Amino acid sequence: MFHLFKLLLPAILPSWNFFDVIAPSPRIQFSLLDSKNKIVADWSEFRPRIKNLSLKQMFLRIFWNPVWNESLFMLSCAERIMENPTEHSELEILDRIKRDLLNNPTINSDLQLQFRLEVIERQNNKLIQTICFHSRIVPLKLSEGSV
Amino acid sequence: MNFEEAIRLTEILVGFAFIQQSLEHLKSFSNEKFIFLPRLMLSIVLVTGFYTSWILILLFILSLVMLYRFQGPYNGGADRMSLLILICLLLTHLASNQYWKEVAFGYLALQLVLSYFISGWVKIVNPDWRNGRALRDVFEYSAYPVSQSLRAWSKSPRLLLIMSWLVMLFELIFPFSLFSQHTLIIALVVAAGFHFANACLFGLDRFFWIWIAAYPSIFWFQLRLSFIM
Repeated sequence: MFHLFKLLLPAILPSWNFFDVIAPSPRIQFSLLDSKNKIVADWSEFRPRIKNLSLKQMFLRIFWNPVWNESLFMLSCAERIMENPTEHSELEILDRIKRDLLNNPTINSDLQLQFRLEVIERQNNKLIQTICFHSRIVPLKLSEGSV
Repeated sequence: MNFEEAIRLTEILVGFAFIQQSLEHLKSFSNEKFIFLPRLMLSIVLVTGFYTSWILILLFILSLVMLYRFQGPYNGGADRMSLLILICLLLTHLASNQYWKEVAFGYLALQLVLSYFISGWVKIVNPDWRNGRALRDVFEYSAYPVSQSLRAWSKSPRLLLIMSWLVMLFELIFPFSLFSQHTLIIALVVAAGFHFANACLFGLDRFFWIWIAAYPSIFWFQLRLSFIM
């Protein structure tokens, strides 16, 4: 109950400090592994940004934008992991990557999945990229009841 | 706009915002559908205006379930504003007399003003915002620009410096718009344009809808203030 109150409090007394500092920015990358944990598909960025988006597409996304909003939630989970890793945030990201990959019929569902967080930040006028977290390795098959 | 009209309009706008949010979740995981299907139905009833107090109570309970399910807000500030509006509407309905009803709804208007003013304040005290570096970083490496081509904006430092100052100054002077209804209308049109730009450039569409849903409270609040003064 106290935990729920702690989650509710920022809505009752909001801080409104949007973009006060531009924090290090995480990117989610994933890899596929075989049963012996050997990488069979190298690290790739999950949902990389598309190159161009027309004005019309940008406008329409104001009305319907579920994938992007889910990506923003995954970004929150990644930021939570950078602050204080929890099983919840890790599994939220893993489940969503799994669901997207399993929608691709060319991907072998017997493989295993791992994600990592690459963090981009500015240090002394240079952009630095570092890997700050590796998830557990899990079967690509979705767990019961998650679809 | 009188008090009752402002409340009703807020309920309708927040109902539509919740309908849109809930529809987006219906293709997601089944344990999300268990939350968002009832939320969709309750939001439709909220728009129609039947059993509003009960609907608000149920929507509040569902919001707690959402907080637990996602261990925090699903979409950061937008979800927090959603919950704040919901709580203020609920308290407005449950309050025993007009004074406390107005306190609850006035709190929403106050938070709306603070949402702009504090956002401006935390930026202007940061040298990176004052010299335009922060907005350049947003475009260059943050996760928010919706396409790769938008990252090229980081190569226009002068434009971003001007944009940074326009945003900061607008946010900081927003409270002064309460002096008259005309200035408030101008400020809210500019603010809605600002949220619209954020929705287009950074995909923050939920902020656009939910901040607009809080606007009736500030319309009423401005009128209420003008009566007092």
